[in-house]
Formats: sequence, C-alpha cells, structure tokens
Amino acid sequence: MTQSAITEAPVAGPDVPVARRSPRLRWILLAVGLVAALALPWFVYPPVAMDIVAMALFAIALDILLGYTGLLSFGHAAFWGSSAYVTALIATHYGVPFPVAVLGGAVFAMILALPIGYVSVRRSGIYFAMVTLAFAQMVYFIGYQWSDLTGGENGLQGVPRSFFGIELVETESFYFYYAALPILLFGMWAAWRIVHSPFGRVLVSIRDNSQRARALGYEVEKYKVIAFVLSAGLTGLAGGVFAISHGFVALTELHWTTSGDVVLMTVLGGIGTLWGGAVGAFLTVMLADYLASSGFHGIDLVTGSVFVIVVLLFRRGVWGTVRHRWMVHRQRRLSSRR
Amino acid sequence: MMSKRIWAGASAMTVVLLLGACGGGGPGGSGGAFSGDKLVLAVLNDQSGVYKDASGPNSVKAVKMAVADYQKKYGDKAVVKKIEVTSTDHQNKPDIANTKASELYERGGADVILDVPTSSAALAVANQAKTHKKLFLDVSAATTALTGAQCNKYTFQWAYNTYLLATGTGTTVTQSGGKKWNIIFPDYEFGQNMTKSFTTAITKAGGTVQGTIPTPFPNENFATFLTKAGSTNPDVIGTMHAGGDLINLVKQFNESGLKEKGVELAVGLMVINDIHSLGVEQFAGTLFTDPWYWNMDAEARAWADRFLAETGNRPSFEHAGNYSAALQYLEAVQEAGTDDADAVVAKLEGKKVNDVFLRNGEIRAKDHSVVHDANLARVKKPADVKEPWDYEEIVTKIPAAKGFPPAEASGCSMKP
Amino acid sequence: MSAVLQYVVQGLAAGSFYALAALGLAVIFGVLGVVNFAHGAFYMLGAVTAAVLLDTLDLPLWWSLLVVPVLMFVFGVVIERLLVQWLLRLDPLYNLLLTFGLTLVFVELVKQRYGVSGLPYRLPGGLQGRVDLAGVVLPRYQLFVLLFSVAVCVLVWLLMTRTRVGMIVRASTEKPELARALGINVGRWVTPVFGFGVALAGLAGVLAAPFRAITADMGNNFAIILFAVVVIGGLGSIVGAVVAGFLVGLVEAFGQAYAPTFAQILIFVLMALVILVRPAGLFGRQEATA
Repeated sequence: MTQSAITEAPVAGPDVPVARRSPRLRWILLAVGLVAALALPWFVYPPVAMDIVAMALFAIALDILLGYTGLLSFGHAAFWGSSAYVTALIATHYGVPFPVAVLGGAVFAMILALPIGYVSVRRSGIYFAMVTLAFAQMVYFIGYQWSDLTGGENGLQGVPRSFFGIELVETESFYFYYAALPILLFGMWAAWRIVHSPFGRVLVSIRDNSQRARALGYEVEKYKVIAFVLSAGLTGLAGGVFAISHGFVALTELHWTTSGDVVLMTVLGGIGTLWGGAVGAFLTVMLADYLASSGFHGIDLVTGSVFVIVVLLFRRGVWGTVRHRWMVHRQRRLSSRR
Repeated sequence: MMSKRIWAGASAMTVVLLLGACGGGGPGGSGGAFSGDKLVLAVLNDQSGVYKDASGPNSVKAVKMAVADYQKKYGDKAVVKKIEVTSTDHQNKPDIANTKASELYERGGADVILDVPTSSAALAVANQAKTHKKLFLDVSAATTALTGAQCNKYTFQWAYNTYLLATGTGTTVTQSGGKKWNIIFPDYEFGQNMTKSFTTAITKAGGTVQGTIPTPFPNENFATFLTKAGSTNPDVIGTMHAGGDLINLVKQFNESGLKEKGVELAVGLMVINDIHSLGVEQFAGTLFTDPWYWNMDAEARAWADRFLAETGNRPSFEHAGNYSAALQYLEAVQEAGTDDADAVVAKLEGKKVNDVFLRNGEIRAKDHSVVHDANLARVKKPADVKEPWDYEEIVTKIPAAKGFPPAEASGCSMKP
Repeated sequence: MSAVLQYVVQGLAAGSFYALAALGLAVIFGVLGVVNFAHGAFYMLGAVTAAVLLDTLDLPLWWSLLVVPVLMFVFGVVIERLLVQWLLRLDPLYNLLLTFGLTLVFVELVKQRYGVSGLPYRLPGGLQGRVDLAGVVLPRYQLFVLLFSVAVCVLVWLLMTRTRVGMIVRASTEKPELARALGINVGRWVTPVFGFGVALAGLAGVLAAPFRAITADMGNNFAIILFAVVVIGGLGSIVGAVVAGFLVGLVEAFGQAYAPTFAQILIFVLMALVILVRPAGLFGRQEATA
C-alpha cells in the first residue's frame, strides 16, 4: 500500500477539454467568464471582488500541479505570501507602477520555488504534500522572525498603489479592480496555455503513469520542477495583486491555513478542471465575507464540513460535476442521433 | 457566424456595464447633522479565534451598555435618537479586517469602528480610518505604532500599549527589589519591542538585565530556555509570551523548581481570562500590569456587577475599555451635535476624563494615546480567592504620567 | 557538561511526544495507506479529554492514561467506519483532504465548547517536584514522560514482533508486496489499526496535558512537525518513526540551547537533507521511491 506515486488520476477519467469538442461552446464560456469578471465589482464590494479574482488565479495555479501533474502542494502559501511581501517592498521602496512590483513578486516566488521544488519532487504523492507543507512552515517562521524586513506580526502597512499617476486607480478600489484585472486574466490565460500545450500533455502522462512517462524518455523530475515553478509564478502574480489591493501584507498570507484555503477552493471547484478553481474561489471568499457579519462565528466549522462533504460525495467538485453532466448529456444526444 | 456571436457578447457586456454604472452611484447625502440620520458604532473584533474570550462578543455587549447609559443620561436631549451597534468578526485575519473596515465606513454607514485586536489588523484599520476620514477607537491592540509612526488624526488608542506593560511591570518590580532580571521572549515584533522597553525600564530603575533569551514561535517546549534563564540565579524571570505559549511557559516554570528557589515570574501581557481558564493555582504569585481590574474599587465593581448580569462573566480590561471608548465617543458627539468626524475629533482631543475605565484619564491631542492610571497586579494564591473571578491583588497603582511614554517621544505626526 | 546532559534528557522527553504520535501515524499509513492529517487534532482531543475528565469526574492522570486511549480508540474506529473507509480505494490524497477537513471541524468544535484560552490541568502529587540524577536536576514529570513513552514503544514493538496480529500489521506496513504475495489478509485489521493509531496520538496528548497549554490549537504546529518526523524516519517504518521522533526532540532541544530562533527551522532543514540524501527516510526502504 505504500504508493510512492499516484497510480490513479485524482479525478476519474482523463481530462478531455470541452473546448476541443465544441469550439462554439468555448467562445460562449469565454464570453460568459469575461462578462462575469467585468461585472463582478458592481455586484460585490470591489475589494472583495478583487480578492475573488486573485484567489481564483491562486486556485487555478494550484490546479496545474494538483489536477494536471498529480502533485498536491500543501505549501503554496509560501509563494503567495512571499510574492505579496516582495511586491509590497518593491512598491514601497521604489514607487514603481504596481504591475512592475507584482511582476517582481512573481519572479521572486519562482526563484523561491526552484530549490523547494527541486527537493520536494523527489517525493511524490502523499509525501509531496507533507514536504511542501513543512517547507512552507519554514518560510513562515523566517517571515515571522525577520521583522526588520517583514514588519513581523504588525505586517507591512501603507503599501502604495501607484499607477502612472492616474488618481482614480490609485485611490478608488473600484477602478483599481479594472487596472489589476488584466494581470490576473493574463495569469489565467497562461495557465490555460500551459495545460493545453505539449508540455501540459507530458504532465498529464506523468500524472497518469510516471513509470511509463519515464520509459518514453521524459525526465519526469525536470518536468515536475518546471510545473512547480510555473505554478508558483502564477501564484505569485495573484499574491502580488492581493497585496497591492489591500495596501498591506500580514503574516497570515504565509500561514499554512492559507495553503489549506486554496486547496479547498481547488477541490470545491473540481480538481483537474482549471476553471473550477475560479468557482471555488468565488464560493469560498463570498462565504467568508458573509460569515464575518452574519453573527455565526466558526468559519472553520463550515469550511471543514464542506471539505468532508465534497471529498466524500462530490469528488468532481462543482465545475467538474456540471461539466460531467453536460458531457454525459451530449454523449447521449450524439449516440441517439446515430 | 463568428462576428455575430462576438457582437452579442459585447452588447451584453455593455448592458451590464451601463446597469452597473447607474447602480454604482455614490450614496446620497442626507443633508442633516447625522449621516443617514443615525449613528452607527461598529465593533470589529475576533469573535472566534484566540482573542474571543478577552474581548469578542462580550465587547459588543459592553458597547451596547454604553449606548443604553448614554440614552438614559440624555433622554430627549440626546442629539441623536437612533443609535445602532453592529458586530463584525474579523476572524483574526488582517485582510478581512481591512476589507470589512473599508466596507463598514463606505457602505455600512459606520461612524466609528471599535476594538480591533491584533496589531496588523489594527494598523490596517487605522489606514482605512485615515483614508475614509472616519473614527477608529482601538482598544485591544497593543502596538505603539498606532500612536507612533503610523498614527493619524482619526485613530485613538484607548486602553494600553506595550510601553505601559513594560514600564509598569519592569519599573515597579525592580523598585520593589527584583534587581536581577532574565527575559525570555518570543522572537517576533511584539516580543522584541517588549524586551527593549523592559530593559530600558529596568535599567532606569536601577536593575540589571542579565540576559535576553529569544524563543521560536509557536513553541511548546520551554524546558531548555528555563534552564538557561535560571542558570544565572536571577531575582526575576520576565516573559513576553502570550496565549498558549504563555501557558506552556508558566506550566513548565512551575515544574522547573525556580519558584521554590525564590525566582519571581513577571509576565508582559496577561488578561484575566487567561487566569480564569487555567486556574489561579498555575499563575499564583505572578506579577503583571493590568490596565484595569474589575474589583479595583467600588465604581469598577458596580459596573462589573452589571456586566456580570448581562454576560455571566466578569469583564476584562478590554471589555471595560470598549465601554469607555463608546461612552466617551457618544459624549463627544453630544457635545459636537453632529457625527462629523472632524468635529468629534476636536471634542475628544485634549479632554480629561474620569469614567468606569479611565482614572485620571486624558485623551492626548498630540498622539491620540488615551492615558490613564493602571495597576501592577499579583495573582492570588488559591486560598485567598473569595469569590469567582477574584484573582488579582493590586500591588500598586501606576500613575498615567509614568505608565505612558511622553507624547513628545511618540514619534507621531498628525499631518495627513 | 551537566547542561548538555540536561538538554539531552529534555530533548528526549520532548521527543517522546513526537515518537508516540509518529508511531500512530506510521501504523495507520502502513496498513491503510492513509496520511492522517488529523493526527494533531487527535493529540489535542486526547489532552482536552483528559482535562475534561479531571474537571468533571476528578479523574487523575493515572486513570486518564488508561481511559483516554480507550475512548480515542473507539472514536478512531467510528471515524474510520463512518468516513475514512469510503475513500480507501481511491487516491490517498482524498483521505489526506478528508482528515484535513476533520481537523478544522474538531478544532473549531473544541473552540466553541471550551473557549480559546485553554483548560486547566494539575499534576498528581507524586509526579511533582524534581529529581537529582548525578548532578543533573530534572523535573520528575519530564523523566516520567520519557520512561513511560519508551515503555509504550517497547510494548508496541513486542506486540508487533511477538503476536500474530502484530506480525501481520508489521509485514503489511514494511513489506506490503511480500505480505500480499503471501496471501496475508490485512483487511479485517484496517479498522482496529486506525483506532490504535488514533489512541496513540491521544495518549501523547494526555501526557502533554500537565506540561503544555491545552488549547484547541495545540495540535496544529505539532502535526506539521510530526510530518517532518515521519518523512525523516521513513513513513513505512515503525522503528524509523520512533527513532526520528526522539531525534527531532534532540535537535529541537539543542537548537533551542545554541541557536534559539532557528530551533524549528533546523527540523525542516534536517528534513530537506534527509530527502536529498536518503529520499525514503532514514529507515525507509530505498527502492520504494519513485
């Protein structure tokens, strides 16, 4: 029983993108997604809307590893948080427009991911989760103690939001949302490109059978490290935008509960569905926001129960279930036509 | 085909954008002296995490008591009839505190935000108060940055800060004979600052700090640190830990035999709820600074009786602090005749106050630190406890002028 | 010199908690292939149960050391039957996620019921005070913890090597392919083994109760260090879990003595080194790694 590799894909059945089967559906979904992203801050308090989209990219980046490479990282808070800190430091000390600072944060996250990934991918499956968790905890401790740089538990406060002197963006969270959205959408597009590229297909074959992939001549570890670093970079983009949006960074961004939260988003949305992460992020952030002023105190009770229920009963996740239903429906229609 | 679809998508988007633009207009001003014709006091604190017992839901009740007292006092003469108290759980997450504070000011009609434990959360809320030009009266966060480098016109720190804790305990204990100190502190911002403040206070009072021992956080095993701290035969071991780590340390201190050797334990930050949940036995003899104790005099006790009837618990200093902050805010609104933040700040600044919580209190204009007399307390032995929550013996009063740093030294500049 | 000896004993005493709990984690993983994320929560529940028993029934530590593991065993069996068993045939990640969710639920429930400031616990008179061992002065309770957990580890070892059940469990933990090839049916032992592992975590919790803060969060960081322990020892190894437990305790104690702020970081550095040099852990079977 000591599985050293994942012998079974996290979600039953290989991933067949809907898009490839139906280009028309792909465009409709894309348009719906874009409209939803553009309309969000009208219906949701703009800073919360920003949280949703940033978390969505975070969850999507995690899914590159979890859904497409079969690696569960329980330490992604390290990349999210460290990018948030680096972004904030760059923005504070150099006063550059915020997209530049965010980019710096993402690059730092990738640099950090390289050694952590290099060590972690030597263990797969269940070990990988534990090892990444332990490393993230280490990064957390460093952040905690290096208070000259990170501000310790006071956090880094008053992070500026410069954007080419355009005052509306710099002061109004509503307009800031539209200035930052392209960065996150770019991240999502990049994630989509990664998983649908030849590189992504190698990842899936590693996930499904690493022995076979190795036999075919792929350097499995190298692919895993690259996937890890790319995922960390996209996570860094999201973390950087999050930091700028809030105007400060606190240690919670590095804490293991943040890693747990993003895993929940991905699982809730549907492992291996990519866009499911966005659905998961929307639901989770809205829930936390609602519970804060609801008078019900015990968000972890809800979060934990959702975890248990999803894992036991809805392993496909929300998006995965919808997609599955649709495909079954389509299959039936096709076969009846024949 | 294709272009048609894109066109449809684009027009759908335009409709949404237009709809949103109409709905997104700013809130209409009501034109009266009170925005929205009512006053909203928003308590933003930790209702589920580690600070739940010391402040949490019972602070909301304390604020409601203040509102009731205000309404009773002024009756028909009250300048505002409708007063709402709202409660928001920041889940001990600074980013939620940040977003919620902004939302409370912008959309929740909040005129003032109260409480906010956790330094990072409090500092983030202070920034929101500055941006939105609305009041923030912090009670439960200890960082001196709130009234120092990161102070602003709309933020007040009501109850205490790390300086008070350090000088209160450090100076008083040293003067009463505890000359040789060893300090164990968690190696993060709070612990580092407290240790610095303690060292200054102890040295000034004629004592020496033999050593300072940093510990990781969180930490369960203090045996090694205590062995090290005890090896120099100090009179006092000071600890700057809080919460679970403090309990770990106290338990292991009791087992280490240092107590029997006559070494005293002085604690940087402790709240009465810590003693309540662990029992006096564990903490007996421990010295600490308590900004306010429910049984310190008749006035405090009378209020604590009301609080007990309301909540079933005796109040911590944070509960009393929230009551006081809400009450003095309402008094200032009454004086100003409006909820306009600048007018209320003008009434608060420089005011000398005495109430249930504040003794010889002054709301300092220079740095917005609310200074008042505090107490050095010793935890009672189990045999001396006469009633539930009767845990502290007041060793001495710490006068406001000594407990708080001089305003000039705060490093605060109110310029926007 | 006496200081060094003192650190050694203190480190071993701290290591006992890790060793006991890691032992439980290792047998659960061995037989079920499940990494029990909730192990830290079970440790916490053990301590909380002991505190509640002392408070309500005045049950002293001695009895708690016996009663609480039994209660935790039953609790573990219920959890396995109700939840864990449904995911055993799937990717082990699902049970990791399930037990992660359970952790959040348990911690929050304890917070709701018993507050956040912690619960009181007092030591029985016989274990208070200190002993002087050739110049090394130690709290009596620390010594007791050390001896007690070594005794439990030896007992478990005897159980594993001298009884039929134990040998089946050990075979399927350490040499699963061989066990399967020999037609050993481990299936009927799955539930009791899960309960047994949970009981060990609970036992570690009871031992910790007089010594450490009993709060809902006490198991969180503990669980993470526990993961490092089993990675260092090798997940499939029973001996490895115990040895690594004590080793990590020592690293922690010496780290605290000579490089205090890096004490915990040192544990993770050790883990990284082990992975680089011996990916399967100090006692793991090297061929098992991918």
